[in-house]
Amino acid sequence: MFLTKIKYLVLCVLCLVVFAVSAQEPLTARQVVEGFQSQLLAAMKKGKQIGYSGRYEALYAPVSDSHDLTKIVRIVVGKEWEGLSKEQQEILVATFSKYSVASYAHNFKEYSGESFVFDSEEETARGGVVVHSHLVIPNDKAVKFDYNLKEIAGHWKVINIIANGVSDLAVKRSEYTNILQHEGFDALIAKINEKITIYSKQ
Amino acid sequence: MAAYLLNLFALWAGKKRVFYFLSLLFVVISGCASQPVLEHTPTVKKSDPYEKINRKVFVFNDYLDEYLAEPISNAYQYIAPQFVKNSIFNFYTNLRNFNVIFNDVLQAKFNQSAKDSGRLAVNTSLGLLGIFDVAKDLGFEQNDEDFDQTLAVWGVPEGPYLVLPIVGPLTLRGVPGAVFDTATNPTSYVGAPIQLLSILNARANAEGALKFIDEAALDPYLFTRESFLQWRRNLSSDGEGSQSLDLEELDEELDKSALSSTSTLPKLRNSFKASSLVFDKTIYHFEQAVEDYRQAESKLNRFKK
Repeated sequence: MFLTKIKYLVLCVLCLVVFAVSAQEPLTARQVVEGFQSQLLAAMKKGKQIGYSGRYEALYAPVSDSHDLTKIVRIVVGKEWEGLSKEQQEILVATFSKYSVASYAHNFKEYSGESFVFDSEEETARGGVVVHSHLVIPNDKAVKFDYNLKEIAGHWKVINIIANGVSDLAVKRSEYTNILQHEGFDALIAKINEKITIYSKQ
Repeated sequence: MAAYLLNLFALWAGKKRVFYFLSLLFVVISGCASQPVLEHTPTVKKSDPYEKINRKVFVFNDYLDEYLAEPISNAYQYIAPQFVKNSIFNFYTNLRNFNVIFNDVLQAKFNQSAKDSGRLAVNTSLGLLGIFDVAKDLGFEQNDEDFDQTLAVWGVPEGPYLVLPIVGPLTLRGVPGAVFDTATNPTSYVGAPIQLLSILNARANAEGALKFIDEAALDPYLFTRESFLQWRRNLSSDGEGSQSLDLEELDEELDKSALSSTSTLPKLRNSFKASSLVFDKTIYHFEQAVEDYRQAESKLNRFKK
């Protein structure tokens, strides 16, 4: 009898250990994307009630956690990154982070039955992963979303989104490098802040 | 013709809801946005060698849109009931399918051409000349094909990026493409009222995309150019990997720049390679010398004997 109890106890402890270990395992690239998409849909569902500021608050953590915003900024400004001071780099990352969340909060403001569907996953030559998915929009054509992720410090992070073949990173890179080269750092920050203000007012 | 092209662009962009974050896919319509376009001294980009003049035309198109097209379009949006606007949109989209089917065949997409023919037949008959999109409910998706894509499939390079007055963004390959598409669209052969309505429909459907550019673009010209080129390349390749390596390339470039700016490793590597070549040659000569010495020694031994 006593032995049986011990057996159950050991079994329970083992279950707890397995659970704890599995709970600590880092998320896969697909899980990161799907987690972010579900949080985005959740923000859209209550989008009208909570308004822009509510959506901004609701999306700040999901965007920051699932995207490697520092790496994105580095790629977006290209070679110009090395020419920026440490302080400028920090300002740029902080401003860009706000802008990224603001654009999500502004553009995904309401819910009309949309859903994300996972299509496939593939590894890239340089050790990254591309998660292919599409957004189903009722009474409209689906939009293909491909998420490019990199493993950084053991965690998968989104570093680019390609929608129907258009890379968000490549479009931004073209703009940001040009502005940095011709107008300078302060002008770039002013323009990004201007966009954040526009997003917050509409 | 230019006006007609404008219509085509908008039909390509035929989305009723364009508020989504990445509706930048549809920015191709007229290449204009009511933001100031900066007069940069452009760094010449391979795909856009005429950026300086293109920017000026972009500004011209922007003014034209702001003071002519947009007010008329707003009036149309205000006056016409939604079902009328939908019907007009469906009507022109259906007419465009003649051109789509033609290009399906030219690209040897026979299966798709059969489906698109079915779509055209159903919407023209059951859909009352296309004003109702019955085919969509039957599972026939609207495909996007045009002669520019056909030329791409045939291996014709896209050529430089151009912004033409009124027409908007194109590549050089898109010019003959647009001429061909105009010739194969029935709207080209009907009266001016139908063509004018077609333009109005085009601009009205472009509204969301243009608003999106206004809101999102830091530099509307570059934003439009990059989106347009990527969007066209994606269509030409039917979404097959046109951007799959994009990030890898950017990342690689970043690594290279970081490497070159932070260390002299590449130079060291090159000089090491050069040194090792010299070393290899020295070894070779040394071995030759040893061989010569051996031969001389054996000759000497033979001579001694």
